[in-house]
Amino acid sequence: MPTVTIDGCKVEVDRDATVLDAAKKAGVWIPTLCYHSSVSITGACRICMVELDRGDWRQLITACNYPVRQDIVVYVSSERARKARCGIMELLLARSPESEELKALAEQMGVKGTPYPTVTESQRNCILCGLCVQVCEEIIGQAAISFAGRGVDKTVASPFRQASEDCIGCGACAAVCPVGTIKVRVHKDEREVEISPFKSRAKLLVCKNCGAPTVSIEVAEQALSRLDIDIEEFRQLMQFCPKCRRSQAAACLKSAVFDKKKNECAAG
Amino acid sequence: MIAANTKFTSPADLESFVKTLHSSEDKTSRSVRVCIGTGCAAKGSRRLYELFVEAVKQSGQDIRIEAKHVGCHGFCERGPIVVIQPGDIFYQSVEEPDVPEIFRETVLGGRVIKRLLYEDPSTGKKAKRADQIPFYNVQQRIVLANNGIIDPTEISDYIAKGGYAGLAKVLASMTADEVIDEITRSGLRGRGGGGFPTGLKWRAAKDAEESPKYVVANGDEGDPGAFMDRSLMEGSPSSVIEGLTIAAYAIGSSQGYIYVRNEYPFAVKHLSMAIDAARDVGLLGQDILSSGFSFDVRINRGAGAFVCGEETGLMASLEGFTGEPRPKYILPVEKGLWGKPSVINNVETLANVPAIIVKGANWFASLGTEKSKGTKIFSLVGKVKNTGLVEVPMGISLRRIVDEIGGGVPDGKQFKAVQTGGPSGGCIPAEHLDARVDFDELTKLGSMMGSGGMIVMDEDTCMVRVAKYFTNFLQKESCGKCTPCREGLAQMLYILDRITDGEGQVGDVERLGVLAELLEDTPLCALGRTAANPVLSTMRYFRDEYDAHILQRRCPAKECRGLFRYEIDAEACKACGICLKECPVDAITGEKKVPHVIDQDKCTLCGTCWDKCPFTAVKKV
Repeated sequence: MPTVTIDGCKVEVDRDATVLDAAKKAGVWIPTLCYHSSVSITGACRICMVELDRGDWRQLITACNYPVRQDIVVYVSSERARKARCGIMELLLARSPESEELKALAEQMGVKGTPYPTVTESQRNCILCGLCVQVCEEIIGQAAISFAGRGVDKTVASPFRQASEDCIGCGACAAVCPVGTIKVRVHKDEREVEISPFKSRAKLLVCKNCGAPTVSIEVAEQALSRLDIDIEEFRQLMQFCPKCRRSQAAACLKSAVFDKKKNECAAG
Repeated sequence: MIAANTKFTSPADLESFVKTLHSSEDKTSRSVRVCIGTGCAAKGSRRLYELFVEAVKQSGQDIRIEAKHVGCHGFCERGPIVVIQPGDIFYQSVEEPDVPEIFRETVLGGRVIKRLLYEDPSTGKKAKRADQIPFYNVQQRIVLANNGIIDPTEISDYIAKGGYAGLAKVLASMTADEVIDEITRSGLRGRGGGGFPTGLKWRAAKDAEESPKYVVANGDEGDPGAFMDRSLMEGSPSSVIEGLTIAAYAIGSSQGYIYVRNEYPFAVKHLSMAIDAARDVGLLGQDILSSGFSFDVRINRGAGAFVCGEETGLMASLEGFTGEPRPKYILPVEKGLWGKPSVINNVETLANVPAIIVKGANWFASLGTEKSKGTKIFSLVGKVKNTGLVEVPMGISLRRIVDEIGGGVPDGKQFKAVQTGGPSGGCIPAEHLDARVDFDELTKLGSMMGSGGMIVMDEDTCMVRVAKYFTNFLQKESCGKCTPCREGLAQMLYILDRITDGEGQVGDVERLGVLAELLEDTPLCALGRTAANPVLSTMRYFRDEYDAHILQRRCPAKECRGLFRYEIDAEACKACGICLKECPVDAITGEKKVPHVIDQDKCTLCGTCWDKCPFTAVKKV
């Protein structure tokens, strides 16, 4: 197993593990934005730059996707690596000045604001990391959104920027968005869920008991088709919201225990 | 011409065919070769060709006359070019009305029409043949040897000039390892920009365990002002295909791709014809020349993204995805196209391969400098007298290319800089004009070899604007995948815009420096990592121009509007009244016999007076 020396700390990792894996093992924090363990790695945001010591020269690499194949020495806290990461963060802050999540990460990295004006804003507060696009395609299998345009005009969009019919309203994109740009909005009155800013909407299941919205109908259908479960039981479960399900279960339990005691008393 | 149903079944078969071709070649036959490269075609050379064909038909002469269309001669400045055999008589700037005269006088009569010959602008001497023109005689043509000689749509022409002899030799007598060793010893380095040793690349791909393996020819030339690859693919497509086939044999691949941009319709057409012809005669396909080696080629057309010339971007595009680069920590020779070992070579690199195989590694290694072997094709454009395509041995000085081949800067202007390496290259100033053309030397000067663009600039070129032009190009062509390239270039452009608008701030050069450093270190692909070169090299050699813009609000080259004034030279002014009449804002006053004056407060700097003055009395100051 190759050894990775990170800022002087030695850890062993499997061959083809990444520098980020090694850093996690060594307890060294490296900021990430476009990295998510569930989807393939693109190395697009460049915020995880670290310095690789190649003996006679040093090179900046992205920790998230650099495969470890032999013993290597990397520096996370070297001046050059830190400067590169901060430089990238400053550019991102200029692009997405309103994202609280991004500001929090910047602060954690010691970046205080950005010297740059906002000159690119193809999509409000989006850093184009691509996690939403990947999760929709790779995990959900819908590919309802993708990148459109090129360069500074690039955006994440549904086809023709219309509300996508392929969107099932699962909200996975919002869950992985590292800068809080994608939001799930529930429209109770219309019993619909909206994924903002993509304008797509999906019908929601509502709890039979309390009327609270649960998940979108299509998400439930997808789950049915993908999981190996008792369909009838699943359908029963999906009729109620989690809260009502819990109280029902509690009621069942209670009656079971209570009835048992009553029966025992009656018998005794 | 090759008879129908001809199929070469062995290397010896091919050789004997060449012999019959040579013996049947009538030494006294006459031919008219009309250039149909895109440059000449744009000036109507296809029509010339048709007229010559017609003239041959109608002549009813007893002698054999052949009119053929050939690939780019390189001297695009003087196109259309027509060369007459015997005598290699070189006519330039030929127009339709010249055709009957050329046919009557030169083709039939053997007399030279002086009017159509090239005249040396400095000596006034007429050149009868191409090799008497300085533009040509400094060149050394290996890759372009067949350009302007053979008909690119006729495979037998290529074979007659020794084409496919390299492949026959490889299949008959060399193992894959021997081929790779030969290429390695030759010192051939990638001509697409990176300069990676070709032999090493092939070796790594051959040693990779997975299969199938792929070979790809990169013909996605996208640099502004560059047309080397286009002319090569148009004029000698078979040499690319032969090189690709040899590469496939060396690494053990049976499928190849040629990635050409769709904006090159003739290149696509000629390559397709060459592939079909090679397949028909058994030089592509199953069991080539009965060697047991099978290989075929497909053409993929690129949709015009500059970044698809980058190898991982090209692979993504070839696979049907958006043309965006991928991380390269694991190289394409291990995991390339569809995750399989792949060799991607520039078309010019591949076109060198057959010559190396036939003439040997030692011959090739004897050309050029210690670490840069062979020749390199450049497209010489910009402020030089002779623009066009040139192939020169590595190690030649930039001065010889600009002054001898290019004929120097026209109109008595001063040379300022030469931009090499395309948009990601840099500008080299006059004091380094004696630098040798060599991968490492150009990199040392802050530029690069690149794929071979060479743009000459004179004193009227504002270097800040040059930096802005290339930064703008790269920003437009950035795929937008990674942060530093997408955001950093936009920030750089924002500052450059401000400087050329006369609103530069003290510290802007340093700000550009910080962004440039970030861009050199952090982007995902080579496009981003070299994108700061135009800014860095102009800041390095022309810092004073940046300072003049920022501190004095003045453009020394007088190109940035608003950073210079128009004034009328009272002595030169003949008070003709033209400027006065043409000025759209009535900023010019004056009477007959009284020199005119521009009211600077009213002047909008439109430049109309400067354009219209017949006595060049309007000056930029």
